Amino acid sequence: MSLYRQTLALTSRLLLKQALKTRITGETRNIKRWVAPTLNELYTRRLKVGPEPPQPRSTFLEWNYEAEVFAFGKRLGEDFDKNILKQALTHRSFVIAEEEKAKQKGVQFEELASNRSLIKESDKIVSDFLKEEFKEHPDDVAEALHDYLTSVDMLAHVASHMGLRDIILTSEFPVENSTLADTFKAVVAALKQSQDLARAQIFVKDFLISQLNGKDIFDIWNPEKPLEYLTNLLRQRGINEFEPRLCNQSAANTILANYQVGLYNNKKLLGIGWGESIQIAKETAALDAIQRLHYQK
Amino acid sequence: MSALKRVQQWATFARIWHVYDAAWQNPFHSAKLLKKYLMGLHKPIYHPLNDCGDHVIVINTGDIALPEDEWKKRAYFHHTGYPGGASWTVAWELHDKDPTMILKKAVYSSMDGNLQRRYTMERLHLFPDGKVPADLMKNVSNQIQQIRPVPKRLDHYSEQERKEFPKLIDYPKDYILR
Repeated sequence: MSLYRQTLALTSRLLLKQALKTRITGETRNIKRWVAPTLNELYTRRLKVGPEPPQPRSTFLEWNYEAEVFAFGKRLGEDFDKNILKQALTHRSFVIAEEEKAKQKGVQFEELASNRSLIKESDKIVSDFLKEEFKEHPDDVAEALHDYLTSVDMLAHVASHMGLRDIILTSEFPVENSTLADTFKAVVAALKQSQDLARAQIFVKDFLISQLNGKDIFDIWNPEKPLEYLTNLLRQRGINEFEPRLCNQSAANTILANYQVGLYNNKKLLGIGWGESIQIAKETAALDAIQRLHYQK
Repeated sequence: MSALKRVQQWATFARIWHVYDAAWQNPFHSAKLLKKYLMGLHKPIYHPLNDCGDHVIVINTGDIALPEDEWKKRAYFHHTGYPGGASWTVAWELHDKDPTMILKKAVYSSMDGNLQRRYTMERLHLFPDGKVPADLMKNVSNQIQQIRPVPKRLDHYSEQERKEFPKLIDYPKDYILR
């Protein structure tokens, strides 16, 4: 029955076409067939060309350097002197580059202050403050913490997340880690000059020392040969010998062997540790003993 | 990651070897117990994708005790895949042929079609008697407690214990036992 109706519809349409001698165009209001393939082709060509090279933020529209510098201080909740902060953000390479440009154009060059002296001043501020903060820790631990926090990577990490990457004036792009680290230090010195040393120290505490959050002491300080270190440490406290004892073990004959060794002195536990082999377990137990001795856990 | 954290991770995911004495135990109850250790369900870190199952060495599988008359009535089906290859084997016959099969099948079927049971079963080591290779026993660090207490044979009691046992009644002295 429906087949009859279909053939009837088709023949009547053909007859109508003949009669009216017009073309029935296929114009419809949906998304055309060629749209998706075209967009796909454009996308693959864009990918083939590769990503756009990174551009400094200052080359984009709506860049107001004065506003950015002002906002930087306010964002951190600190009151900076505008000129000193600008000096802190100006790198020597930028000054040299500006001088070259001015010479080439024949324009008189106005002296820009660079952050070189501020960096030097800040080295001392930061180091002294860190040493003061970590004075309760044993000497080598304090030194390791100081080195970790003042390393280029750490300072660059802090500076980058603080928003210094976009407002630093340097000749190179992208900004290098060493430049970021130096600029962070310069900002600390700028704060000290704008306000006082106490404020600068609080700044270092809030932004640099807080990076230690959630870290274990042995993430930062790794004594080589922990057993020897422990022996020396105990000798200083009048304990001349200790014995390692196997507390627990499992799957000793397999590659997933697991041993627990405890270090004892006169039947008193100094430290306990796990390990893949007995030697590693002893070393871990030594690390545990060192941690307990230093921090009286 | 510090050394301490690394070894803590290692120790948490360490594989433990257990030993279980199947003598006088019901294999089906034992299977229910052993399955937990094999799959790692006894650990708080359990997850099916975690691969946290332990090894279990079962000894004396030849001395298991099936309930009631299961030895005579429980039949195991096997088909070779070829026409006419179906066979039903009664429990005692199967046990004669291979004393570890009953417990192995009990553990396998206790895992109810779990997709991981093929390789979980690889961690189960069955021995018909107490003779286990020394290499394997060196790994063991735990013994799983038996479900049913093993009854003591009368001739394993000492003379003194038999005399001191508080008897309610006894045969008359001149009674002849048939």
